[in-house]
Amino acid sequence: MYLCLEKGRKTSDDQCLIHAQWHQLMIKQIQSFLISLLIATFLVVTHTTATNLIWLQSIGMPVDMGIVVSAMATDLVGMNSRGAFPAIGLIFVGLLIAFITARMIAIWSSIKKPTLYAMAGGAALLAIVALMPLAFYNLDLIAGARTLGGKVYLVLAGALAGYYFGSHPKQGDSNDIK
Amino acid sequence: MILNNVRIICAALLFSSGFAASNDDSFEIATLADGLDYPWAVTFISDNEMLVTELSGNLRRVSNGILNPTPIAGVPEVLFAGQGGLSEVTLDPSFADNGLLYLSFSAPAVDQPKLNQLNVIQARLEGNRLVDHKTIFKSDPPRKTAAHYGARLAFLDDGTLLITSGDGFNYREQAQALDNHFGKILRLNTDGSIPQDNPFTKNPDALPEIWSYGHRNLQGLVVADDGTVYEHEHGPQGGDELNRVLPGKNYGWPAITYGVDYSGAMISPFTEQPGMEQPIKYWDPSIAPSGMIMYRGDMFPQWQGNLLISALVPGDVRRLEIQGNKIIMEETLFTQFGRLRNVVAAPDGSLILVTDGEDGKLIRVSAKKSAP
Repeated sequence: MYLCLEKGRKTSDDQCLIHAQWHQLMIKQIQSFLISLLIATFLVVTHTTATNLIWLQSIGMPVDMGIVVSAMATDLVGMNSRGAFPAIGLIFVGLLIAFITARMIAIWSSIKKPTLYAMAGGAALLAIVALMPLAFYNLDLIAGARTLGGKVYLVLAGALAGYYFGSHPKQGDSNDIK
Repeated sequence: MILNNVRIICAALLFSSGFAASNDDSFEIATLADGLDYPWAVTFISDNEMLVTELSGNLRRVSNGILNPTPIAGVPEVLFAGQGGLSEVTLDPSFADNGLLYLSFSAPAVDQPKLNQLNVIQARLEGNRLVDHKTIFKSDPPRKTAAHYGARLAFLDDGTLLITSGDGFNYREQAQALDNHFGKILRLNTDGSIPQDNPFTKNPDALPEIWSYGHRNLQGLVVADDGTVYEHEHGPQGGDELNRVLPGKNYGWPAITYGVDYSGAMISPFTEQPGMEQPIKYWDPSIAPSGMIMYRGDMFPQWQGNLLISALVPGDVRRLEIQGNKIIMEETLFTQFGRLRNVVAAPDGSLILVTDGEDGKLIRVSAKKSAP
């Protein structure tokens, strides 16, 4: 039983149920978006950390497990708080635009949701790693994006985040509008 | 009364704290020239004449305080983009006899026009024209970025030329490898040949022109009277460094650093490592050091032997007193002009401050004459 009001008047139980389902779905979609944002941010940040540490170890610097853990923790905080741009903010904007665009494409496209959103997430990260250098004299401000392999990894990170978003909430969940 | 006492106590505390503050009343400030397009370097060719480079590609002459509206002809085409363009101008030690000078600039690579290189040329100044150009250095490999060129030049007492070559931003790890010019100080003869006593001439895996390595973006280079070489370099966020440079040494970038990346990421968790040199000073937060002289003039005798460093952020001059291998005092001067691209000393001992930007100025700072 739902108690709903619409512009000050009572609505029918059916309308009320639909509103409640919408409400729950939006909450779940926001949750999915935030989780996909965290997935992408985590992968982007730790990739930069790993890139730096692997190179440092290759020239004989004493990189041990303690340094790996503290470096990742430092970068997860640092890249989201003390940089010229917070990584999570940049990725948030990229994924948001990409997922809204994917949602519109989904209206007329028959591509499966996980695939479509994976493509959108990959495109978001591709845009970030490709467009940022154009704004900064060809400088790759995300250190992990300086190589082709690094760029590919980051695009895949975006795709994974998108795949997660496209897969949640799962089809058939009780909150999915049929 | 109470207010007066507070003022006296504050003044006494400030004085006793050792904080060195400049007294602007003791300086005479005059604008020598304005409307310069990103001025970068200044050198005096006589007591009353100086040459000024504009990053956009012009070499200008200022005579008796008047900017010649016609740029000096014969300057090569430069790549004016990002931090690139016409950078340093330095006179040959025998300039009075041979008229030779040296320019550093960025330019597209001949065979790969999407890439670019730091170039150093020798040319002769004849009237208002450069002639007899000779390229003595091109950084290798070429880069795609238009940043971190270094591009400072200075002569050692033996007549060889030091060239700073920055890490190109995207290529920072290359500063630790000896097979390229990223993040290096190079030493050449003035004809471009390589001195046989360079530190890596016997290392088959190293370029023989390398003099020191492990640098970032070196924009200050000074040879002191006793032959000591000082360089400063832009760090990332934090970690600008002043180094005392010795041949063959590794200055650590980016394996050790006091700065963090612009993204906020750690570049290295290490600040020291055996076999890598420590700076004699580093700045955190950054000051973006942009040029440096060792003051040898008579106008400010109290500054004799001090390093004067121009800074872009927030824009001032740092006066450093050195004792042995240590900085014993730092004073901040001339904070009123904004971003400063360079500082040089005129033959009369006055200072020329170079402001940054598309309306760059040359500002002369002289000691105020005492009233008769």
